[in-house]
Amino acid sequence: MTKLRAKPVLASVLGLGLAAAAPAQAQEPIEIGAIYILSGVVSTYGEFAQNGANLAVEEINENGGVLGRPLEITFEDSQLQAQTAIQAMRKLVYQDQVDVLMGLDSSGVATGVVPVVPELQTPFIITHAATPDATGKLCNEWTYRISVNINQNVKAAAIMADESGAQSWTTVGPDYAFGHQSWEFFQKYLSELNPEATFSGSPSFPSLGTEDFTPFINTVIDAQPDGVFLSIWGGDLVNFTRQATDLGFFEQDFEVIMSLGAATEVLHALGDQMPTGITVGTRYWYDGPENAVNDAFVKAYREAYGKVPSYNAQNAYAAVYAYKNAIEKAGSVDKAAIRKALSGMTFQAPMDEVHFRKGDNQAVVGPVYGVTAENPDEEIRKLEPMRIFDGASVTPPVSETGCKLGG
Amino acid sequence: MQTFVAALLNSLDLGILLFVIAVGLNIIFGVLNVINFAHGALYMLGAYCAYTAIGLLGLPFWLALVAAPLVVAAVAVVLERLMLHRIYDRSITDSLLLTFALLLIIDESVRWIWGTSIHIVDPPVGLRGTFTVFGAQHPVYSLFVMAMGVLVGVGLWLFFTRTRAGKVMRAAASDRKMSRLVGINVPLVFTGVFALGAGIAGLGGVVAAPMRAIGPAMGANIIVESFIVVVIGGLGSFPGAFLGALILGAIHGFGSRFLPDLNLVLPFIGMAVVLLLKPHGLMGRPAT
Amino acid sequence: MSAGRLVVWGALAAILAALWWLPSWAPYFYIFVATEVLILGLFAGGFNLVFGYTGMLSLGHAAFFGFGAYISAMLLLHLQTPLILALLAATAGGGLLALLIGFFCVRLTEVYFTMLTLAFGMMVFSIAQQWRSVTNGSDGITGFTVGDFGIGLDLVLGNPAVFYQVTLVVVVLAAALLYLITISPFGLILRAMGENPERVAFTGIPVRRYRLYSFAISGTFSGLAGGLFAPFTRVASPDMVHWAQSAEPVLMSILGGSTTFLGPFVGSAIFVLLETWITSFTDRWMLFLGIVLALMVMYLRRGLFGTAVDWLRQRRTRSS
Repeated sequence: MTKLRAKPVLASVLGLGLAAAAPAQAQEPIEIGAIYILSGVVSTYGEFAQNGANLAVEEINENGGVLGRPLEITFEDSQLQAQTAIQAMRKLVYQDQVDVLMGLDSSGVATGVVPVVPELQTPFIITHAATPDATGKLCNEWTYRISVNINQNVKAAAIMADESGAQSWTTVGPDYAFGHQSWEFFQKYLSELNPEATFSGSPSFPSLGTEDFTPFINTVIDAQPDGVFLSIWGGDLVNFTRQATDLGFFEQDFEVIMSLGAATEVLHALGDQMPTGITVGTRYWYDGPENAVNDAFVKAYREAYGKVPSYNAQNAYAAVYAYKNAIEKAGSVDKAAIRKALSGMTFQAPMDEVHFRKGDNQAVVGPVYGVTAENPDEEIRKLEPMRIFDGASVTPPVSETGCKLGG
Repeated sequence: MQTFVAALLNSLDLGILLFVIAVGLNIIFGVLNVINFAHGALYMLGAYCAYTAIGLLGLPFWLALVAAPLVVAAVAVVLERLMLHRIYDRSITDSLLLTFALLLIIDESVRWIWGTSIHIVDPPVGLRGTFTVFGAQHPVYSLFVMAMGVLVGVGLWLFFTRTRAGKVMRAAASDRKMSRLVGINVPLVFTGVFALGAGIAGLGGVVAAPMRAIGPAMGANIIVESFIVVVIGGLGSFPGAFLGALILGAIHGFGSRFLPDLNLVLPFIGMAVVLLLKPHGLMGRPAT
Repeated sequence: MSAGRLVVWGALAAILAALWWLPSWAPYFYIFVATEVLILGLFAGGFNLVFGYTGMLSLGHAAFFGFGAYISAMLLLHLQTPLILALLAATAGGGLLALLIGFFCVRLTEVYFTMLTLAFGMMVFSIAQQWRSVTNGSDGITGFTVGDFGIGLDLVLGNPAVFYQVTLVVVVLAAALLYLITISPFGLILRAMGENPERVAFTGIPVRRYRLYSFAISGTFSGLAGGLFAPFTRVASPDMVHWAQSAEPVLMSILGGSTTFLGPFVGSAIFVLLETWITSFTDRWMLFLGIVLALMVMYLRRGLFGTAVDWLRQRRTRSS
């Protein structure tokens, strides 16, 4: 998927501030720089993000752009590595002269990237990476997150877990920040709701990209807990689910919660191989929100790409619109002005009304959880019953996040 | 007991699948003296062809089982004629480098053609479902994988010892000059060998497809696994590849189950130990 | 000194001057590109001591590079040591690890040596990936900044241009030292071993021990490169130890040419610049790399710089 670039090659190679002398400055495009995983094991998520972002850019440009200027977006591949993502950021800011940054799929990469963002003096909207640290102990005034983070997602999971009545829990999660932190917060939140709950001393953390989950599935079956909390995602979850079905995992007595099981990337891949009756979560569910913006977005996305939008697509789409909103609020594209405009900003995204909390720049949003059920109308499972968690009910207070932005 | 049996079954189907993939690597090395870094990419190509045949074209699994390896073999012929044959007389290092380049090319091309989405392929109707032994539930398809592996092993052994084509290949492997002198068309034989090795890798891909999600990173892990197998078993040794594969399968199946914190490092320790104690592998002979 | 040599030294001096003043004439982003070229060039140059000179293909050199990165990152994160200390520690670490691993690897030759280096390299990767309590696992060491350089030099290392110039000085000094090693009697023996190890053994030289020295020295320079890489990218992660990272100096040595000293450095420049340019147009960079590499291995085996040097030499012998 190549980026949308109208600039001639020479100008991009020179890349200096020659624009000052250029006439027709009103037509000069506003540059967005986006970093996603575009290669390797979870590259399908990056592709969905590109879809969402491109759709937003096209829509906005068709309606006259922002402040009379068109938007242009450049994508760089993080390759699931922090050092590559940081170099990509430097390239976007210094060579491509972008006005704003967005992106990041991996929590692990985010822990490396977020501390470096202030040096680049460019606003950065995270649309996927969920580690609490990005708006927690690593928070800074240039970094925002529009997407549901681990605290919010897992708090809802803990509520679902508590309601299920299961007492002893174990987990299978990917062996990096996301898996470990999901488990850490699941234990914390569930313990708060149910002090009697117990947690396995030997949870499983297979590497991201593991192909054979059989040993880990069998470990859980042997342990016979009351409930299993799965934070595996993407292609790993597809593999896990199929292999688990073969091993009789879903016929056991334990409760199963998949914190990212309702990602459409996963549901599309599995089709009717996703068992019914499983509790799954997602950061956005296309059929959930009841507002005009969502209806229009889902319709437009379907027409453009032939599928329903995943959470990664919505998040990227919403981020572009958030940026547009910030520009209009600030009346300029100046980076510091945008930063101030984003802080505390509220705007309508497909998923919900999104508010960037002043204390940590985290959007106060909540996940959607549901139980998988057969769906005669679509190629993927539907969620029934479905439960949309209100952001305020799952977002911890700023004092608990470790963020010291103040204000 | 259930735990042990479950781990054993897992080790077996993993190991035998690894054998199917690694044996092609061994054949290519044995005859061409080339270490095919692109072997994992060819396996991945086989899996994607299976997805196209079964998932997109709706062909039956059995047809894909035959067609996909042929497609991969055809691609291998093209690559061999265009690039690989130029470096047969060079050092093994050069073959590693060139096949690494092929890996990059095949990997990217697969992503270009099929995109980044994750796909799945179902086992054929006759092989779905599960069975239970000693309380451990296991997919029926896994038995098919094991049977396929044994079939491939026996088939190749018969091919190399009983058929004329196989004997010609072995002749070309042991002495190229002499083979030419007795009228064997060595370049043609070499193309055939590379195609055969690649085809088997592709077959491995089709066989693995119902067990694994098909995605862009399929080829990446499997090549190092294949190297470990042929190193442990012995470069160029047939039964060695089988033994090496079973050992690695056991390391994964039992190691990940009982020592999950060490599951990444164990295979490499195994590889290093064998190299230091028996560099030619447990059943190998020195590379000529 | 002959006219030819004067030209070579003059060209070198001019290039170094241009590199020193790069922040003033190149677009800002290229300061980062140049820093990366220098660091990876040092890695490749150190690697080539084992590959081009001693004739052994190691696929595990990222172990030393990555180890150096981790040492440097951990010192900067936990103790905020001056950069020079972090670099010295990384250099020593790389060398010691190479001595340890090399002790086992040099017992083997040819493809078996290569496989064993791959095994050890991936062992170190597995440890970096799974020993979460020490290395922070797959997420790596992050969130550290670079403070002083040390030895009384008052440098603002947070400024990329300053960091670049410091890197330039360090790399040039290290490369000079490496060059002296290659033209020393020791270096000549290594080269002889690369061409014909048996003949060298007949002269009574302990080939295996010299291979170990070569491997250890190479690891030292790789560790230094890693020690610079961590503060540059602000991360030390297991990817820096993975075999895919080990493949980079190999590719760079092939691109530039493994038979000359400067080949790997030129190769690093070609590789990084190509990647930077091509990824601006397409995300099929790996495909281009594969095609370029294939062409190089098939037709330009001595690399671009190596072939250029050969061609120049041929012209001179023809005209004299």
